[in-house]
Amino acid sequence: MTDDLLRVVIVDDEPLARAVVREYIKDHPGVEVVAECGNGFDAVKAVAERAPDLVFLDVQMPKLSGFEVLELIGRSVPVIFTTAYDQYALRAFEVHAVDYLLKPFSEERFAEALSRARARLAAPAPGGDIDALIADARPRQGAVERVLIRDGSQVHVLPVERIDYVEAQDDYVCFKADGKQYLKDQTMGALEAQLDPARFVRIHRSYFLNIDRIAKVELYAKDSRVAILRDGTRLPVSRAGYTRLSRLL
Amino acid sequence: MYPLLARRSHLAAYLLLWLLMGALLSALLTTQGGLAWTLALLTGVPSAIAYSFICLSAWYVARAMPLARTGPARVIVSALAAAALSSAMWLVFARGWTALVVSRWAAQSGPTFAAIQSMLFGIGVLLYLLSLAVSYVLVVYETSQDAQRRGLQGQVLAREAELRSLRAQIDPHFLFNSLNSISALTTADPPGARRMCLLLGEFLRETLALGSEDRITVSRELALLDRFLAIERVRFGDRLRAELRAGDAGGCFVPPLLLQPIVENAVTHGIAHLIEGGTIRVSADRNGPWLRIVVENPCDPDRPRRGGAGVGLANVRARLRAMHGADAGLTAGEAHEVWRVELTLPAASGEAS
Repeated sequence: MTDDLLRVVIVDDEPLARAVVREYIKDHPGVEVVAECGNGFDAVKAVAERAPDLVFLDVQMPKLSGFEVLELIGRSVPVIFTTAYDQYALRAFEVHAVDYLLKPFSEERFAEALSRARARLAAPAPGGDIDALIADARPRQGAVERVLIRDGSQVHVLPVERIDYVEAQDDYVCFKADGKQYLKDQTMGALEAQLDPARFVRIHRSYFLNIDRIAKVELYAKDSRVAILRDGTRLPVSRAGYTRLSRLL
Repeated sequence: MYPLLARRSHLAAYLLLWLLMGALLSALLTTQGGLAWTLALLTGVPSAIAYSFICLSAWYVARAMPLARTGPARVIVSALAAAALSSAMWLVFARGWTALVVSRWAAQSGPTFAAIQSMLFGIGVLLYLLSLAVSYVLVVYETSQDAQRRGLQGQVLAREAELRSLRAQIDPHFLFNSLNSISALTTADPPGARRMCLLLGEFLRETLALGSEDRITVSRELALLDRFLAIERVRFGDRLRAELRAGDAGGCFVPPLLLQPIVENAVTHGIAHLIEGGTIRVSADRNGPWLRIVVENPCDPDRPRRGGAGVGLANVRARLRAMHGADAGLTAGEAHEVWRVELTLPAASGEAS
């Protein structure tokens, strides 16, 4: 029977909203609550440490929204969103949430969501690379306002206006901001779809530059230029990159 | 657009008037200038019609120098200058035209025009000044009509804003979340669930009752906010704290639920994004003829910016403008992790004070 035991994490910033889920779960003997979290940071941490089978996730929370939590935990944990807002339903569907419970919800509706989760766990969705699906769904959401970087069980939230530039490093991208570096497991191509094209220019195969940081562009050699940032950093600018840059400036 | 040219009937009446003027002019040319009356008509009437169009320019002079905003000396000098200039132009035209007509058809010759030149100039000036006077009357009429239309438009907008904001005052998600809290309390804390139902019921009843009132006192507005925050406190627990202070402005009047969207924003865009929560401070002060209300809440500078904070504020701003025009204002901004909205409006404390 332990195979059937469903280990769940409840994430909601309102204690009473967590209490409803906890209470409904009591009637389902095969389900065990392994953690309750009041904010997104704790949720990412709990999922990393406890590796639950299912997460009940509120959308509007301090620090990280439910969608941002999902982006960070990604991988393969099925998620059931719980929220009072119906406008996120489509987006929840796009990121392949198991279900979407509108508060207040009934015990029957809750049981239905739970059995859907069990079905999903028994037969995982085909092509379950949720990161690709999220990247897929992203462009429709427009440019991101902040970049989320997971560092073990810790999460950095980087508002895009603080980013100086982004450098490709093998399979990672490295964000430079406030004199610090943040490494994220992402490709330049996937990042391009997330960044605001009016703010970030791909000046080179390996670089995105925040145009607010640029001081000047100098000719370095024939056909190759170098961008000099306000803090003195010098970045290479390719020919195509220069064309893109001059179109924006 | 010149009002006379806008309607054909007006233009016809205007030209008819000038035809009469042309006849008078012809008579003058006959009696004073010694022209045969056929020739006088041939010169006088076209000249008058020509001048009728020159005189239309008086409208633009009247528009450019509204009497209320221009010094009398400037008006007089400009009017005389415009009249002299127009009359001179007219004289040149009339003279040329007369010479043409006389040389074509007249058997007689001689300096017929010189004798009446100065008189014609005088007539031209007077006619122009008359046109100017009429134009001023028209401008005043048009302005008053415009003001009336704008006044009506303002009333309609105010009414619409009122309705729209009343509908927007209360976010339906506030209700859904509250119902969810009640759903949780029913088993865990039945008396708490009942308290929450009562709070919610009182809040809704009071809110609906306010729909028919134009203004309420600051004290009553704050009492309503206090009730709203009590309901939200059931959801957020200790994270949500509030300090409401009416000071000496408790008796002043505000439009009902004016602060509701601001405080709602303070909860959803401020406190809800903070793990530890914070205190919402609302304070009202009376400063001479002005009522100043400040709403402050701590906020997370890294919170996501997308969302409807702007709609609520725009709503409040529109309501203030509809009620007090430029006399009321709203400023909002963030400094040192505190979001602050400040409203200033004329202090009206009604019959009581």
